[in-house]
Amino acid sequence: MSEILQFVQKDGIFHRLNTLTKILFVIVVSIISVFTISIPLLLLVLAVLLLLAAFGHLHREIFGQFFLIAMMSVIMIGLAVITLPNGSVIGSLVPEQVPAIGGSIPITLGGFLLGVIMALRFAVLVIAVQLFIISTRPRDLIHTLERLRVPIDFTLMFVIALRFISTLQIEGKRIQEAQLARGYNPGSGVGGKIQRLIPIMVPLVSNALSRANVLGLTIDIRGYRTRERTILQEPGLAGWDYIAGCLMVIVSIGFFAALLIRMI
Amino acid sequence: MIGLESVSYRFPRAETYAIQDLTLHINRGECVMITGPSGAGKTTLGLAAAGILAHEYGGKKEGPVRINGKDVMDYPDLSSLSAQIGMVFDDPEAQLIFTSVEEEILSALERRGLSADDVEFRYRTILEMTHLASLKDRPPHTLSGGQKQRLVLATTLALTTDILILDEPTAELDETGTTALLEILKNLKKQGRTIILIEHKFRKMRELVDTLVVMEGGKIRAIGAPDEVIGDPQVQDIVIPDFKELNQTGRNALGDVRVPVITVNGLSHSYDRIHALNNIDLSIYPGEFIAFVGENGSGKTTLIKHFNELLHPTAGEVMVLGKDTRGMFIAELSRDVGMVFQNPDHMFFADTVYEEIAFGIENLGLENRDAIIEHTLADARLLPAKDLYPRWLSRGERQRLAIACVLAMQPKVIVLDEPTTGLDGRESREVMAILKELQYQGHTIIIVTHSKEIAADVADRVITMDHGKIVSDTGRRSR
Repeated sequence: MSEILQFVQKDGIFHRLNTLTKILFVIVVSIISVFTISIPLLLLVLAVLLLLAAFGHLHREIFGQFFLIAMMSVIMIGLAVITLPNGSVIGSLVPEQVPAIGGSIPITLGGFLLGVIMALRFAVLVIAVQLFIISTRPRDLIHTLERLRVPIDFTLMFVIALRFISTLQIEGKRIQEAQLARGYNPGSGVGGKIQRLIPIMVPLVSNALSRANVLGLTIDIRGYRTRERTILQEPGLAGWDYIAGCLMVIVSIGFFAALLIRMI
Repeated sequence: MIGLESVSYRFPRAETYAIQDLTLHINRGECVMITGPSGAGKTTLGLAAAGILAHEYGGKKEGPVRINGKDVMDYPDLSSLSAQIGMVFDDPEAQLIFTSVEEEILSALERRGLSADDVEFRYRTILEMTHLASLKDRPPHTLSGGQKQRLVLATTLALTTDILILDEPTAELDETGTTALLEILKNLKKQGRTIILIEHKFRKMRELVDTLVVMEGGKIRAIGAPDEVIGDPQVQDIVIPDFKELNQTGRNALGDVRVPVITVNGLSHSYDRIHALNNIDLSIYPGEFIAFVGENGSGKTTLIKHFNELLHPTAGEVMVLGKDTRGMFIAELSRDVGMVFQNPDHMFFADTVYEEIAFGIENLGLENRDAIIEHTLADARLLPAKDLYPRWLSRGERQRLAIACVLAMQPKVIVLDEPTTGLDGRESREVMAILKELQYQGHTIIIVTHSKEIAADVADRVITMDHGKIVSDTGRRSR
């Protein structure tokens, strides 16, 4: 089972970068993807991210999420086409040949392009965050966020949420196996599927909630929230960090300059 | 070192006390084992002794709890109490927060006010003591049950406390894992640590224990030196299960011994690059009671999951009642092979015990639903609990409900993975008695177990697995 958003031990450029540099990387990529409406630029950022993933030996983990990203992209484009029609009509969601309702729900060029922009933004953000998370040890993340004065409760919430994704994945699989062995049928049709989720979701949520109590006690007993930390030897900024930092500053300046020129 | 004086506690909204009028004094360097049926109040006593009840739980509390002569309420919070006491809870998964063994231990050590050199030194010592050095880069969720237990113990040792409370630390451990943990605890005791052990495996832990506390119904049923306590036959019944009487001579369970119910030919299975099963050949006959034994990771669970197609063979074939399982649906196979998993809580979603049992029957479209449920409830000795919410039942009752859910589907073969995990002696015997009765009614029973006693005294045939292979198959009757 491929795991989502879990640290993987590799020796690539992302693993060598300081956590602070990687946080800056995510911020820069997020700003560019949110502020631009240029499809070629978003495609360029996506291509750069995929290249970086390949150089960082993280391409397998990134491509492992291809199905999720593709599915979400289709949903986003579909939603934009249906809810935000704009510009010339280039087709319809329901084919002309269908009796009575053929040709309904028009696909407009504006709606379609907006959907593509949203899907590309989503893909860029997901891949950038994933590169950051899977190449950063949670302990380094906690230490860096502590240095950035982020409240420890928020930091722990974030780290625990990441850590428990894999636990929920495994737990969900075990529950599904237990119910399949009882003749459970995952159901057909949207309504049926939702109805048939109950035997899976109820044990999953109940078991997760019963774990939350122990988890909270463990955090308090270990003193994560209240005790001072012993500072061990921690990696500082190295050559790669300075190079990456300079590149990100140049890219950011270039991007905002281009944005301003267009606005003017 | 720890003193409880007439301590009682009632959980919020509960009608009865979870523990009642408990008086217990534990000296420095002593090892106290607390045992008893599920629901007896063992964990609640552990939480009270750790000061957790006082600081983190609502409800009604009576009687003082003192740690090192100071009332637990005089400690400002749980974090300050944790300088004195470390507690290992019964669910290791919920106590592992980080993504590698190294991080998990170091993160706990870093918050103890130690110098950087001291942190490094203690980290190396703990790794060595808990035999985790070779696993230090592994993500916790990829470890086996025993390795997770050792890691949780390691993080608790990292708290550098004199008192350790361990709640069922061997529940998921095999023989080797339990022995390894016992050695670690003996070592800690030698160092002068005070240990409170909430456990069912008295026989295994006997040499470590100074004082045995047997609880029942929230009260201390017996307390004292172990030999003295188990001298009482009724207490012995709770502490040390005796399964021998379950094998009733004169009752024959075997059906038609010429036709196997399950046949496995050349079965191999691989997870990624790990070979979990290697060329297994096996025939299981009607009416047999088979125990699969072997260390964690020997392939027992992987093998039984092939019996109802939860796993597909990488090579070879599995035949159930003469039909090749390849291409068959799990739901279809569940009519013939019922599977009860280790954790019953993975099953329960309904509002009542009755509805929970009805789920499988409805899935298979069986007739006489209500009659089957009533009959199954009686077989599983759950009739008085039929309208209760399944998660409110004790661990032993939940295990029996899990068996009832599968039994109601009327399969010829019932497969159970570790059916006595977390159960005390009496509950284990109760579950085994039900299974034995089902065998006499004509079902084929297959269990995976770490219990030598169950394998030797209850099963007719014991199959030992090691590294994905069957290394011995004893007790098989001649065909």
